[in-house]
Amino acid sequence: MGVATGEYRLSEPLPTLIVELRKDDVERIVRERIGKGDDANKILEECRRGMEIVGRKYEEGEHFLAELMLAGEIFKSIASIVEPYVARAKTPGTLGKAVLATLKGDIHDLGKNIFAIMLKAQGFETYDMGVDVDPADVVEKVKTVRPDFVCFSALMTTVFDNMKQAAQQLGRTGLRSELSLMIGGGATNATVREYVGADFQSLDAMEGVGYCTKKARGRRVA
Amino acid sequence: MTSEERILAAVRLEQPDRVPVDALLTIEPLAHLIGTLPGPLYRDFNLLLEALLRVYDDCPFDIFEAPIPASYECYLLGGGLEFKSPGREFPDNQVIQVVEREVLKREDYAKIAEMGWSRFFFEDYRYRVSPPIKQEDVPRIQNAIDQYASKCVREWEKRGVRVLVGQAPICHHPFFKLSLSRSLVKFTEDLYYEPTSVEEALRRMTSDMIVDLINGCRVSKTQIARIEEERASGYYYPPKIFERFWWPYTEQIVRELWSRGIVTLFHLDTPWDRNINYFRRLPKGSAIIRLDGTTDILAAKQTLGGHLCLMGDVHPAMLSLSNKAEVEAYCRKLISQVGRDGGFILSTGCCVPPNVKPENFRAMIQTAKNYLPSGV
Repeated sequence: MGVATGEYRLSEPLPTLIVELRKDDVERIVRERIGKGDDANKILEECRRGMEIVGRKYEEGEHFLAELMLAGEIFKSIASIVEPYVARAKTPGTLGKAVLATLKGDIHDLGKNIFAIMLKAQGFETYDMGVDVDPADVVEKVKTVRPDFVCFSALMTTVFDNMKQAAQQLGRTGLRSELSLMIGGGATNATVREYVGADFQSLDAMEGVGYCTKKARGRRVA
Repeated sequence: MTSEERILAAVRLEQPDRVPVDALLTIEPLAHLIGTLPGPLYRDFNLLLEALLRVYDDCPFDIFEAPIPASYECYLLGGGLEFKSPGREFPDNQVIQVVEREVLKREDYAKIAEMGWSRFFFEDYRYRVSPPIKQEDVPRIQNAIDQYASKCVREWEKRGVRVLVGQAPICHHPFFKLSLSRSLVKFTEDLYYEPTSVEEALRRMTSDMIVDLINGCRVSKTQIARIEEERASGYYYPPKIFERFWWPYTEQIVRELWSRGIVTLFHLDTPWDRNINYFRRLPKGSAIIRLDGTTDILAAKQTLGGHLCLMGDVHPAMLSLSNKAEVEAYCRKLISQVGRDGGFILSTGCCVPPNVKPENFRAMIQTAKNYLPSGV
C-alpha cells in the first residue's frame, strides 16, 4: 500500500497536470495539440492515464473526493474538446458498458455524476439516464444497451422499493443474470443491498469503479 | 429526572437516570406515522404541529432537537435552497427534494463579504431561487414563522416540555450554505482556484452567524444552538481544505458561544471519521456531536468520550427496512457502549426516514426507556 508519487513516472505533461488539477493549463495544451492536428485518441489516452493516477491516489488516501470531482471536471472539459476529433479517428475498445440512473422519487445526482465521470475516464461506455427514472424505462434501456453493469444511486430511503422493483423486472426478463447490479449513495448500506438484491453497494464512487474494473478485467481473462 | 434534566445531564457529560432519546422528525415521517400524506402538512403548519404532537403523545420521547419542525415557510426563508415540495410542486404523497444548481456566482463572494449573508439573502439571493417569493412577502412569511414557533412553544409548555434549542429549524454552517447555494462542484473549484474570495465570505458569514445564534438563544431563553454540516468532512475534502476553510470558523463559533454559556449542537452527516479528532480541541462540554450512522460512533466515543456529548445514530435504512428486534439490538448496543458513562443521546442518524416502520420508531424510543445495561 501507499505507492509514492515518483513510482508513477509522471513524465508526460498531461497526466501530471491532471494530477495537479491544473485545469487551465490542461485545456490550453489540449487545444494547442488539437490545433496542430495531434491524434485525439492519443490525447484522450494520456488524460485517461492521468485520471487513473488520480483514482489510484484516491484509493491510497492521498486524494479525496474533492480531487476526484475536480479531475472529473477537467476530464469532462477535455472530452468536450477532443470528442469531435475522436469520432473521425479509430475509437478504442471499451472496458464495458454501464447504465446509470437515480430512480423515481429521487432527483439527487451528485454522487451518480461523479461515478459516471470516473467510469468513463477508466474507459467504460456510460449511459446516464438521469434522475427520477421509472424502473420500467431502465429495463427498456438494458434491453437495448445490454450493459455489464446497472448502477442506481439513492439519497432517499423512499426509492428502495423502486430499486427492488427494477431488479425484479430485470430478473423476469432474464437480463439480470447477464449484468452486475450496483447501488450507492448516502441512503444505502448493506441492509439495502440485501433488500434490493444488488451485487454491490458502496458510499464510495471509486470503490464502485474498482469493482467494475475488476469484473471487466476478470471477464476478459476468462 | 425530567426530559430536560436528562438531556442537560448528558450534555454536561454526566450520567442521567437513563440514556435520553430524541428523534429528528421532518414533515414526511410525521405524515407517515399518523397515516396521512405530507402535502396537507406542507400547506398548513397547524396540521404539522398537530402531527408532531400526536406522534409524541402516542410514544413520548425526550424531544429536543426539533420541537419546532421546519414548516414550508421555514424552507422558504431558511436555507436559501431551491426545492420542490409535496402539495405544491409535487403530488401530496411525494417527498420534498432539494434542487441543487449554481445559484450563487463566483462574484457573489465579494458581495457577501461586504453585505453579510442576511442582507445579501434578503435583498438579492432569495429572489433567484424557486419557489419564487417577492421582497414584500418576506415580512409576512417571517411573521408566520414567528407565530408558528410561539404556538409550538405554548403547546410544548402544556406538556411540560421546554424548547431547548434556540434558533430557526434550518441553520447551515457558512461553509455548507455556500456549498449548497453555489453547488458542490463549483464550490469545490472555488476552494481550490479562488480561495481568498471564499475566505472573505466565510469570515463575514461566521461573524454574522455568531451574532445571530447568540441573539436567537437570548430571545428564546435557550442555551443550545444548532448547526448543520454535511459537506466539510474528510469524506469530501483533504485536511488542508478542512483546516483552512472549516475548522477555524467552526472553532470561532463554538468558543464565542461557549463564552456565553451556549452549547453548539452539530448535525454532522456523511462520514466524519477522519475529522472527529479535531473536535477534541473544543472546550470540554461545549458541543454535542450528532452523527448520522455513516461515521463510526464507537470510535468517536473512544476519541470524544468524557469530552463532548455524542448523539445518534440509528441509520435511516435500519428504521425503514430492518425489523423491530434488529432496531432494539442496535439501540441496546449504543446504550451500553456509547452511553455507558453518560454523555450520549440516542437518536436517529440524520432524520427519521419518510418510510419509517412505526414499530421500529417505537422500538428505538422504548429501548431507551426500558433498557438498563448491566453494571449501571
